[in-house]
Amino acid sequence: MSTLSPNQEQTVTHPILVQEQHVPGRDVEEKFEVARSWGFDGLELRGQGDYALEKRLPELRRAHANGVVMPTVCVEMLHFVGAFDPDLAEDAVRQLTSQLTVMAELGGVGVMTPASYGMFSLRLPPFTPPRSPEDDQKQLVDAFGRLAEHAAEVGTHILLEPLNRYEDHMINSIAQGVALCREVDNPAFRLAPDTYHMNIEEADPARSLADAIEFIAHVQASDSNRLEPGAGHVDWALEMSTLRAAGYVGPIAVESRLSGPAEVVLPTVPPLLRRHLT
Amino acid sequence: MTATLPDRPAIVHDRVATLAAATAVVRGNWGGAYTVPATGLYPHQWSWDSAFIAIGLRHLSPRRAQLELDSLLSSQWADGRLPQIVYDARRDDDYAPSAAFWGSADLPGSPPVPTTGLIQPPVHAWAVWLVHAHEPAESARRGFLERAYPRLVAWHRYLRERRAAQDGLAAVVHPWESGTDNSPLWDDALARVPGTPRAPIERPDLQHADASERPSNKEYGKYFWLAERYRDHGCSDADPDHPFVVNDPTTNALWARAELALADIAEALGRDGAAHRAEAARIVAAMEALWDADLEVYVALDRRTGELVRKATVGGLMALLLPADVLPPGRADALLRTAQGPRFLDVDGAAPQFMAPSYDATAPDLDPALYWRGPAWFNMMWLLLEGLRTHGLDARAEKYVDPMVEAAVREGFPEYVNPWTGDGHGTRSFSWTAALTVDLLSRTVFPEAPAGPEENERA
Repeated sequence: MSTLSPNQEQTVTHPILVQEQHVPGRDVEEKFEVARSWGFDGLELRGQGDYALEKRLPELRRAHANGVVMPTVCVEMLHFVGAFDPDLAEDAVRQLTSQLTVMAELGGVGVMTPASYGMFSLRLPPFTPPRSPEDDQKQLVDAFGRLAEHAAEVGTHILLEPLNRYEDHMINSIAQGVALCREVDNPAFRLAPDTYHMNIEEADPARSLADAIEFIAHVQASDSNRLEPGAGHVDWALEMSTLRAAGYVGPIAVESRLSGPAEVVLPTVPPLLRRHLT
Repeated sequence: MTATLPDRPAIVHDRVATLAAATAVVRGNWGGAYTVPATGLYPHQWSWDSAFIAIGLRHLSPRRAQLELDSLLSSQWADGRLPQIVYDARRDDDYAPSAAFWGSADLPGSPPVPTTGLIQPPVHAWAVWLVHAHEPAESARRGFLERAYPRLVAWHRYLRERRAAQDGLAAVVHPWESGTDNSPLWDDALARVPGTPRAPIERPDLQHADASERPSNKEYGKYFWLAERYRDHGCSDADPDHPFVVNDPTTNALWARAELALADIAEALGRDGAAHRAEAARIVAAMEALWDADLEVYVALDRRTGELVRKATVGGLMALLLPADVLPPGRADALLRTAQGPRFLDVDGAAPQFMAPSYDATAPDLDPALYWRGPAWFNMMWLLLEGLRTHGLDARAEKYVDPMVEAAVREGFPEYVNPWTGDGHGTRSFSWTAALTVDLLSRTVFPEAPAGPEENERA
């Protein structure tokens, strides 16, 4: 079993990443160059279904060898490990298992996924889900338990992103994520809080980050309106200085929609975040 | 033998780790709209605490620092006073006197939130200015100065019209108003205050700090009696026989300093700051009545007897916060002599010395562990360092930063410390100790780059 660390193979503390779909370029090496020119330290990959990330391995291996920083991948599918349909849930586990293997080969921090997305909300009709909370919990503990075992074996992390109450009905808050981490009890299973979802779910996002810091291996940055950091009203100074003070050194990836052309709005983000991280 | 500071104080603490620990305390004591001074001993919002806390908080979150001061300013009375305590009604059994004791809702002109009727030293305008100046874009975006300025003007008007007599100085009508509750400056005036309040004396504070480190029950009896008297006269400042009316050097020096800040605020808003600068000069001139030429320090004046209280306290040095051209000729040098002499920063027996005692180190009745009768307080030392810097002694001030914050972190951010041993006293995880540690370290260890053009455009 590999020794796990939230900042494996990182050359800088809290590298600031941008998701690859926002950056022009024919391959990740070209995208990386553009991202660097915009002030980012690296890229966050997107992991589509049908083993798409695994199929990109030749490109990714070459990029890794050439120094491209891409420590995380964010799942880009429409079914997840918490799916009500057992076949879809099982496919999600298979896809994430494949992605974990890829990220381990790239020396990455991990693969991130929500429990589900767009499947059910307790705040929207019909309000009562087809599966009991106990069975939800059982399914998540089983799925993340197996993924964590694989992640630990290959040497990376499976990362859970809590989503707000309108997008998922199982894991909305950081505290719920921490509870699941404790239940799974495997250091290869960690959290990747997203500041957008936190601004809906957490009474005091900075306090939630600090309280859960030992379980946090990755952070996604998006403003209160889901636009790029700085375009809404998240208190970036406070949340970033809290991460700094709590000793967090993992990556921070911008996952958001954009308020304007990428080349105009994204370069404003790294200084905004970095100013309070260093 | 007299102690002197070494040229290069040993740095035994890790500045990054200290900043992290201080940040955790400040963040942890946040209550949603303001920071409590300490979650156990002081569970509400305190007036001058919030000002010092905001000065540190600005480095962690300019927005939260503004909110801290917005919260306090929103508790202003119709007469302009900013109350000493704004109560959290959910915790009204944790501190005495309680919100129920004051019953502020029954008093005319009181704000919608429960408060005391008393005040604390007026450091707020300066804090508002420092918070604004740290992040002008975020301040402008939120309209922080526009909102704060009229309230601060009204606050200073309250001091001038309600607390100043012919002498032009603001008086305190209770030791709590000075922020230096059991300072030896109040002993004589308190001697004529009855120690027999009608309400039973409650001491929930003793659940959070040792009795030896708190004012005594005898003092509390007098404190409660005075508070009842002031409350029962409608907090109107019109009681001709109120027995405790004292001109406090700290309050008046901070008032003058805050007037200069008010001038800066006015000018930032495109208004004329001249009236505020003139007011600062007027207060400084009036403070001549508090100058003790033998001690070379400002002292208190008991308005009931007309007598000076000739005791040197660290608050008597706070006129150092005013530039030399605002002070009388030679005054800055005299104050610097006192500050750096055997009473405060060159005390016998402390090597190396890291903080000034709150009370004259040569006084026979100094107690190095009892609240404001000798221990060193972080807000006063922070002010004193600002005073040294105001008069060009930046390098001298810088020498104290490391040993001071080292004591703060080693002792768990205590309320106050023994200036000879560094031992912590009072409550721990005390907000202004942590916040001012954040300020000192952020300014000297991690000076922030000026905001880039991209960030300015966001405003």
